Amino acid sequence: MNEITVHLKVNGRPHTLRTAGRTTLADLLRDQLGLTGLHLGCEQGVCGACTVIVDGLPMRACLTLAGACEDSDVVTVEGLDGPDADRLRDAFSRHGALQCGFCTPGMLLSAHHLVRARQPLDREEVGVALSGNICRCTGYNGIVSAVREALEGGIAAESAAVTTRNHEE
Amino acid sequence: MKAPDFRYHRPTTVEEAIALLADAGDDGKVIAGGQSLVPIMNMRLAEPETLVDLTGVDELRTGSKTPSGACYGATTTHMMFEYELVPDVTRGLLPHAAAGIGYPAIRNRGTVGGSLAHSDSSAEWPTVMAALDAAVHVRSVRGARTVPVRELLLGFFTTALEPDELITEVEVPGLAPTARWGMYKMCRKPGEFAESLAVALGEAEPDGPWREVELWLGAAADRPLRLNSTEEAVRGEAFADLLPDRLVAPLAADLGQDLSAIDPTGRHALQLHAVTVQRALQSAERGDTA
Ligand SMILES: Cc1cc2nc3c(=O)[nH]c(=O)nc-3n(C[C@H](O)[C@H](O)[C@H](O)COP(=O)(O)OP(=O)(O)OC[C@H]3O[C@@H](n4cnc5c(N)ncnc54)[C@H](O)[C@@H]3O)c2cc1C
Ligand code: FES
Ligand code: FES
Repeated sequence: MNEITVHLKVNGRPHTLRTAGRTTLADLLRDQLGLTGLHLGCEQGVCGACTVIVDGLPMRACLTLAGACEDSDVVTVEGLDGPDADRLRDAFSRHGALQCGFCTPGMLLSAHHLVRARQPLDREEVGVALSGNICRCTGYNGIVSAVREALEGGIAAESAAVTTRNHEE
Repeated sequence: MKAPDFRYHRPTTVEEAIALLADAGDDGKVIAGGQSLVPIMNMRLAEPETLVDLTGVDELRTGSKTPSGACYGATTTHMMFEYELVPDVTRGLLPHAAAGIGYPAIRNRGTVGGSLAHSDSSAEWPTVMAALDAAVHVRSVRGARTVPVRELLLGFFTTALEPDELITEVEVPGLAPTARWGMYKMCRKPGEFAESLAVALGEAEPDGPWREVELWLGAAADRPLRLNSTEEAVRGEAFADLLPDRLVAPLAADLGQDLSAIDPTGRHALQLHAVTVQRALQSAERGDTA
């Protein structure tokens, strides 16, 4: 086996790992770090179930070699924290945006990136932005509603914060 | 499925990368974003012995203006074009094309050099860069050369690159301030590869016909095609007259197809291409970027 050493941060924690050169980020996270939140549906980049955040951007863990993540900062669904993540989780459960849950970690990470951008989106635009995440259960309506609600919640929270600050001045 | 085992190198300079490629010989391969190569390796359609990863070579991820246009490092990602993190010299064509490639997660890793070296005629960059008459700068331990994209793409997954050669930059000539462009990608779901992909470039009266037009079509043959006969049919014609039905005959000529002998599947594909070309012309005619 052709082994390599990879140094990377996962959910805020630094790791030094020995692995095969052919190991993908998905297999490194699942098999060597026990982070089984991300799922492997296709290993061809199509389904989106393996989506994780690498250096601030959503990427396919199944199409990213572990070696290419040297010095990278990786966030998986297990490490997805903060007000936007809370809003999304809450909205997903209220809107029935998941059934079996296979697609959910990838959906949450792709959606988190959208919510963080604070750009208002209509249903069609959310659909296009999430077209790289396939769900075989829900029919997407609940997912789109949940993401829009979390996005609106994020935008509202920010304008509320601005209003409060203005009042205090 | 998983990729077979390979030796993995992650150099930090172009010098190092081309030396590693030369050492690896015929069984070595470059990997950039991995968004085409990793699926192919996972399906075991490619089994390279050695991979030379470009993600650590910072000098390849740059973009700057030149006197005649712009030069983009080979590992400039689709996302960097989409959000104009590199300068655009095409009045919006490059960012528009980039935004239509795959899904956000694909655009965040996939690179312009990788897409050109992969040479899939249904992908965006081969057709767009051929239309713009871009050229790639290539390096190997044997020296450097420049290859126009129109000569680089030889067929499906086949290019004029030697196994030890690395694309380092893509040089794109700027579009004149009076030039118009239009582009249309036909696909059933956002993010899928195109069923047809047309790019129109040229000069037109403010609201009138195309005075000059160059048309390029992707996803119709094993490489992007220039549509000479269709250009003839379009030049000087009032836009309202350019319905897809009128484009079918010249398109068939451009694709080398005999309209009287064509089967229904072929006829359907031809109709899709005609509609795609018409929509590309239309998006340019209105001066927007549909
Ligand atoms: C689900 C999915 C959907 C997609 N949809 C689209 C789409 O709609 N439109 C589209 O255009 N593309 C699409 N793609 C492909 C994507 O754009 C790829 O990023 C691109 O084709 C290859 O770029 P890469 O950097 O990932 O190359 P890699 O996969 O790393 O490499 C591809 C090939 O190019 C070679 N190579 C890479 N860089 C160089 C270099 N600098 N010099 C020499 N050779 C090099 C490699 O050896 C390999 O043969 C999609 C991919 C996926 C997985
Ligand atoms: S497993 Fe990565 S996209 Fe399907
Ligand atoms: S909830 Fe089952 S795949 Fe989406």
